[in-house]
Amino acid sequence: MNTFRLVILTPDKILFDDQAIQVTARTTEGDVGILAGHIRYVAMLQTSALTVKLPDSTYKQAAIASGVLKVSDEKVSVMVTAAEWADEIDPDWAERSRQDAMAKIEAFQNEPDRLERANLKLQRALNRLRISGHGTH
Amino acid sequence: MANLKDIKRRMHSVESTMQITKAMELVASSKLRKAKERAENAKPFFEATYKLMAEIASEDRYFDSQYVHKRMEDARSAVLLIVIAGDRGLAGGFNANVFRLAQTRIDEVRSQDGNVIVMPIGQKAVDYFANKEIKVLTAYDHVAEHMNIYLAMDMADLIIRTYQRHASLQSVELIFTNYVSPILQVAQKMNVIPLEELAGNPSRRCAVEYEPSPEAVFEKLVPRYVASLLYGAIVESFASEQASRRTAMENATDNATEMIDQLSLLYNRARQGAITQEITEIVGGASAQQ
Repeated sequence: MNTFRLVILTPDKILFDDQAIQVTARTTEGDVGILAGHIRYVAMLQTSALTVKLPDSTYKQAAIASGVLKVSDEKVSVMVTAAEWADEIDPDWAERSRQDAMAKIEAFQNEPDRLERANLKLQRALNRLRISGHGTH
Repeated sequence: MANLKDIKRRMHSVESTMQITKAMELVASSKLRKAKERAENAKPFFEATYKLMAEIASEDRYFDSQYVHKRMEDARSAVLLIVIAGDRGLAGGFNANVFRLAQTRIDEVRSQDGNVIVMPIGQKAVDYFANKEIKVLTAYDHVAEHMNIYLAMDMADLIIRTYQRHASLQSVELIFTNYVSPILQVAQKMNVIPLEELAGNPSRRCAVEYEPSPEAVFEKLVPRYVASLLYGAIVESFASEQASRRTAMENATDNATEMIDQLSLLYNRARQGAITQEITEIVGGASAQQ
């Protein structure tokens, strides 16, 4: 299988910078799978799971918050606000942040801006819980 | 001849001050190490986001965005100034340099009959603008040390919403401290919005597929760009603050050492003088009895 260079960036770290066979992600338009030699492409990513197929044909899954996927000639970049590998997610922390988000949604019913942010926070928490294998969804 | 007790008391006081400056120096160096690493880690994301925005702007023939044009000036023209300073003092000229630059810009805008709105970040910046006749958008204190991207995104959302709602807002500018080296940190001004350098005519046409569209991607990138810019600037300013404090405390410790040296010289001289005097008196007394 041909490989390509995959870089996963968040504002505070580089999560991954290595060769990969395939990366699967959920864009705002639907799911995409990228293989080596893909045409230049840019799409917006949703808060979801990102799956990477490594050169040894094993799979690695990460919880990502929204961002951008960019395919250029030399590499594939994933730029997201947050990203953690499934086995590095702290389920207790994710659960606490879910409860915190629920409380905020309750409290900000009359403030559209803050309500929207609380909803996004809830989505991230649920996404982390689901990917770490502790979710009820 | 100076009083022995007085000199001893001064030596003690300088010594305890030196212990404090020495401790602060150590704390600042350990915080600096962490902060420098965070500032380094923030760069790739910021650069990649900016590069993608520049690519969209230069490759899409029909590219246009509300974020790249200079707005028409009117009577109520205003500038939003984000000022990043520290939460504490005792960091040499760190805070003062930031405020000097901010004040210069404020005076410049006001001399052209413009208004300035500030967004202070850091306790010292909040205090500085608290007793000035200036409108404060939102103030943030004690955020730098444990800065995270979600807070930066909240700040970016607020900035973008303010920019969209107020047509009189000409530009959003940022004042932060650039970490050049452990001994050099420079307060700098940077333009955040509009991104005028991206407004040039697209030069080449490239086959890139954008989903949903180049404009939609660009519009969504702008808040992320602002957030990562703020995050990077706050983390970098924090590193600069620590470096500046370390240097200041190092100098203070050196000065204290020098003072102690001088004082102990003075003390020994006074002690010797006292002994000499005592001997002279004894000898004088003894010879008077003979």
